[in-house]
Amino acid sequence: MKPEEALAAARAAAAERDDPLPAGMAIEPTERVSIEQLMEWANIEPDVDLMRSTRKLGAPITWAKRQLVHILRQYLRELQSQQTRFNLNLLIRVAELEDRVARLENSRAPDGPPPSPTPPAAP
Amino acid sequence: MNVHQVLSGAGPYDAVTTQALAFRERFRSWGWGGRDVAAEIDPRIGDKIAPLRSLDARDGDVLLVHYSAYAPKLRRVLEMPQRTLLISHNITPARWFWDHDPQAGVVCALGRKQLPQFAAAADVAAGVSLYNAQEFGSDVVIPILFDPAALGTPGPADRAGGTDSPTILFVGRLAPHKRQDAVIRAFELYRRRHAPDARLVLVGAPINWPYDAAMRVLAEEISPGRVTIESGLTREELAARWRSAHAFLCLSEHEGFCIPLLEAFHFGVPVIARAIGGVPEVAGDAALLLADTDDEMVAAELLALAVGDAELRATLRERGAARVAVYAPEATARTLRAVLESLAG
Repeated sequence: MKPEEALAAARAAAAERDDPLPAGMAIEPTERVSIEQLMEWANIEPDVDLMRSTRKLGAPITWAKRQLVHILRQYLRELQSQQTRFNLNLLIRVAELEDRVARLENSRAPDGPPPSPTPPAAP
Repeated sequence: MNVHQVLSGAGPYDAVTTQALAFRERFRSWGWGGRDVAAEIDPRIGDKIAPLRSLDARDGDVLLVHYSAYAPKLRRVLEMPQRTLLISHNITPARWFWDHDPQAGVVCALGRKQLPQFAAAADVAAGVSLYNAQEFGSDVVIPILFDPAALGTPGPADRAGGTDSPTILFVGRLAPHKRQDAVIRAFELYRRRHAPDARLVLVGAPINWPYDAAMRVLAEEISPGRVTIESGLTREELAARWRSAHAFLCLSEHEGFCIPLLEAFHFGVPVIARAIGGVPEVAGDAALLLADTDDEMVAAELLALAVGDAELRATLRERGAARVAVYAPEATARTLRAVLESLAG
């Protein structure tokens, strides 16, 4: 068979089969991150199990790293809460702005609804 | 003449670092000086690449910036008075990373955003493929310096007729956009229908260990005991994988160049690949290319043809050898030298 004929032959052979694709995780790109997904990400919760050494014989290093996280937990919790506070507040502002833009765009559309009053800004 | 190479980051298994070191060997053979520096350095690289702060360029020197990731520190380099060649090695769109490696997602998103500004600031901006160069409006191509001699000898001309069970190979980072999940599925369909004793070998360093673990679990779920995932191979070990492969299956969704295509051609291994990014340009007529609409079932049937059809294998091997000749290191080195000498005036 010539290479130019192979794809058509493969398509024809595939069309004759009806066995299902094997199940399991399928990787897909994240085209647009929703506000809900951002809210979830904004609340940062690093998993201490992800802390590990990838070196050969890295078990003692993994243990030492996790001990360090444990020792610093009070400081890390403070860091985490400050960062999460900033992330969530920023996201709320973005969501409010998104709503406001959508309302303005609707009100400018010829057959759109009249603009609703803008809610007061968060304190 | 002095040419200083500046990298976004340098690491032991990184294709861009390998490329910069190969360029340096050429520069030495031409009697040129200069040093190689990077904004971020993996300690395993040793003293081959120096920190960016040690860059000491003089009047008349030329800077060669290898751009492959977001690196704000490189901005300072582009503001230097020396003439600059920027080679873009392509940056994967961030959408492939958000779910699996957010930090890589950030670096890719910012890197792609920054690329047009960096390209505009360089005296010459080139891509490793035309697809790559066109991303920032250039038509200057300086391909990957591909030296087949460094890979080892190809081995027997055709192993499909032997008694070995078919081995399907993919070489590339264990990363979301490389779609090893789809490779595993296509392989399992092929194995079930055509070759129950076939095996799949995936070679490539993982983006992180949770992703590596997830892929191993997936492989065991779909094709128990039939998939091997390896990384950190020596050059000899990698050559051995190529020599034992019956087909190379690449279902990657993003490739700026795809060096393993040329490696497969060098080792005489038939290639099945998704026709995306720089793949059609590099593969030419020497690979079986899948369209976007072709799923893993079509890939599985192509695998059966690529492994089983002797005439097809022979033609692909012949055409593959011609593609390797197109990317001969002497030709690439001549192009590189001409561009650098034009910058040196």
